[in-house]
Amino acid sequence: MKKQNEKILTILALIVLGILVYLAENNLDAYKLRILNLGAIYVTLAVSLNLIYGFTGQFSLGHAGFMAIGAYVTSLLVLPPYYKEMIYILEPLAWPFTVIHAPFIVALFLSGLFAAIAAFIIGLPVLRLKGDYLGIATLGFAEIIRIIANNIPRVTNGALGIKGIPEFTNLWWSVGVAIVTIYIIKGLIESSYGRALMAIRENEIAAEVIGVNLTYHKVMSFTISAFFAGVAGGLFACLLTTIDPKAFMFVMTFNILIVVVMGGLGSITGTVLAAFLFNFFLEYLRPIEAGFNIGPIKIPQVPGMRMVTFSALLLVVILYKQKGLLGGFEFSWKGFFQFINKLFKNKRSSEGSTM
Amino acid sequence: MSLNLFLQNVANGLSLGSLYALIAIGYTMVYGILRLINFAHGEIFMLAPYFLYFGVLIFHLPWWASIIVAIALTATTGMLSERIAYKPLRDAPRISVLISAIGVSFFLQNLAIVVFSGIPKAVHRPEFFKRLYKFGEIRIQSTLFASVIVSAIFLTLLIYIVYRTKTGLAMRSISTDIETSRLMAVDVNKTISITFIIGSALAAVGGILWGLRFPQLFPTMGMIPGLKAFIAAVVGGIGNIPGAMLGGLILGMTEILFVAFLPVVSGYRDAFVFLILILILLFKPDGILGKKVQEKV
Amino acid sequence: MELLNVDSITMKFGGLTAVGNFKLKILPGELIGLIGPNGAGKTTVFNMITGIYTPTINKIYFQDQDITGIKPDKIAKVGIARTFQNIRLLDNLSVIDNVMIGFHLHLKSNLASAIFKFPSYVREEESIYHKSMELLGKVELEKFKLEKAGSLPYGQQRKLEIVRALATGPKLLLLDEPAAGMNPQETKDLMSFIQKIQDDFDLTILLIEHDMKVVMGICRRILVMDYGVTIAEGNPAEIQNNPEVIKAYLGVDVNYA
Repeated sequence: MKKQNEKILTILALIVLGILVYLAENNLDAYKLRILNLGAIYVTLAVSLNLIYGFTGQFSLGHAGFMAIGAYVTSLLVLPPYYKEMIYILEPLAWPFTVIHAPFIVALFLSGLFAAIAAFIIGLPVLRLKGDYLGIATLGFAEIIRIIANNIPRVTNGALGIKGIPEFTNLWWSVGVAIVTIYIIKGLIESSYGRALMAIRENEIAAEVIGVNLTYHKVMSFTISAFFAGVAGGLFACLLTTIDPKAFMFVMTFNILIVVVMGGLGSITGTVLAAFLFNFFLEYLRPIEAGFNIGPIKIPQVPGMRMVTFSALLLVVILYKQKGLLGGFEFSWKGFFQFINKLFKNKRSSEGSTM
Repeated sequence: MSLNLFLQNVANGLSLGSLYALIAIGYTMVYGILRLINFAHGEIFMLAPYFLYFGVLIFHLPWWASIIVAIALTATTGMLSERIAYKPLRDAPRISVLISAIGVSFFLQNLAIVVFSGIPKAVHRPEFFKRLYKFGEIRIQSTLFASVIVSAIFLTLLIYIVYRTKTGLAMRSISTDIETSRLMAVDVNKTISITFIIGSALAAVGGILWGLRFPQLFPTMGMIPGLKAFIAAVVGGIGNIPGAMLGGLILGMTEILFVAFLPVVSGYRDAFVFLILILILLFKPDGILGKKVQEKV
Repeated sequence: MELLNVDSITMKFGGLTAVGNFKLKILPGELIGLIGPNGAGKTTVFNMITGIYTPTINKIYFQDQDITGIKPDKIAKVGIARTFQNIRLLDNLSVIDNVMIGFHLHLKSNLASAIFKFPSYVREEESIYHKSMELLGKVELEKFKLEKAGSLPYGQQRKLEIVRALATGPKLLLLDEPAAGMNPQETKDLMSFIQKIQDDFDLTILLIEHDMKVVMGICRRILVMDYGVTIAEGNPAEIQNNPEVIKAYLGVDVNYA
């Protein structure tokens, strides 16, 4: 299928998406919008985790830490100075945080940037580790970031966190960022550099011997992944309007990991679907916790059942469907039309591949 | 700092360290055999005091019976988690097992929230465990003696089992080369189950002692001590049982003394422990007693 | 000027000496065989030349440049490529991707131009694609270009690994037991293939092999290792009649007529 045609189809799809977002923003209630927004933010989080884990094969458990950095950076930039002075009750806010103020888009970009810088510094030594050790080390760093946030009230307001963050995040922002994330990460994966990252995942020693600089590529992937986690953190802060260190415990990384695993490691399409499904189910399983009736049987209130269900689900996927619920399937316009062709038993055949 | 205060801190460090050691042994044994970081081990540790609490309060069992039942139930949980969540993945890429372990960890935690409720529970301790012994100005809880003595007993027992029995030989054989062990008619499944039972039982003992020393139970109480115990195992040399004990003691001591000498930064005490982990992983990944294993290319 | 000068290197792992005082000078255009019983240290020598291990004692020079201890990716850039005893392909990637990755180290386009598909990058990528197809053509694997590398039969996997090494544009090619697991016909094809690529790509080749037909057939100079040291060096005829060599392989003194 010609590249030109693919581009046109993608643009058409984006226009349709834009129309859907417009309709949603103007017609749905706040509750439903919040779920959709969370879904879109999770897309950014999960696709970026997929970059370092699914595509580069590095088991990083530090995503929540980079998200936290982004959330705090955005909050500090987006709140007006006089308001910040009011809410920092443990200790007065330190200069220069008192005077800085920036538009949302600048704040988001800086969130990503600071998260990326942190990732660069952490990644250089830590990415030498492999497998479980890398997991624990990155988890350790995420916890260290969280503990620091808890202990510097002059900057973060300590355990109290920051409240009253303006609600800048709407579907345009969250979906927009998700689209940009997918565009950039897809662009990276479908390039020679992406090949190098996957080579590292498949066989590190072979990759090195073929001339792939491990440190450069691993750190690059880690840094880009953290950048988007930081941006997502900023969106998250301006959606929930309040953040504190407890929001970024390991549970957050675990949730993103669930999405990545269920969607299939190394499948962006799967990740997108899983991100929304995860958030839908999380919300709509709430009734289980509140207690409900099946006919004459009264099922009691059971708080926490959602996470039990999800953990069990994760185990099932890992044990029986290791390629994710979609089996590693990746969307492409060519594949879509081949599928349609098969449905209508059309004898039109597609010619040999372009790249 | 006065000598008395210092000695008091040392005593506290020993006490905490021996608890870490008991948990760390479970991590190190499982890692030695399966090359798996059992993320769920901290939850095993957490379940034991809950079982104990329920045994005493709900079923009105005498203390000593409750303790035995709690250990037995916890060990069973550990063994079951291996059978259900790890055994099917024995030939899968290691990452899959790791994720499975994280899954089990969260499953148990959330199950505990559901069954036991997330509200912290205060444990009512029998008189014996509340006694405070005084040596001059130093106050030592009876649980300190209990932990140190119990740890020493179990370590000796464990070393005997690992180095003097057939089961122990099987364990050491599997940790060196699982494929060959299978071919040599070692009952791999049984040995792995026994490893999990022993490791979980030790964690249960640690959990009970912990519950008696810090008598407030909550479902997430296993996470941080679990992680720290894992760090202790790494410090001592992952896969090495005496190393786990040594690592536990060193970590417990370091943590207490860190806070004692620098009370200003006590909020960072957990961060400090993580920092130790990262430094060890970067500069001496084999730990204090571990052996360097060359990867064959 | 010699291409490679391995200057009496020794490799110790703790108390074990895997390779002791290994010397080798290779001139451009040579085809040299490295043989010896299993565990003699041959792959360790390869690992030292390609930067996976650093020799405990002494140095290695390539085109008069000291390459001792340089990391494997820089070694590849300098012009040395290798294959592995146990085949290290990127199993889940396609056959064509396995070859295209070999061209990555020479990529001129930077990260941004690759992500956003600037015209300069698109041109480079197309060129890489065509060169990779050409290489696949040399081993008759073009029709499998989209198959997963791990799904190929063993013999073809070996050929793919060699072709991937060629993609990096090496001057010196190290082949680690390329004929392992091949039947006699495949072995014959391999022998002519090796000689062909040596001509086509102007290569110098160092070869580890157990199959004596291959070694005696195409190598002009042979080194024999046992227990980490070189026990003999010479042309095929000399090596075949060398009593030390016979003892190393058979473990007894025999009269070899």
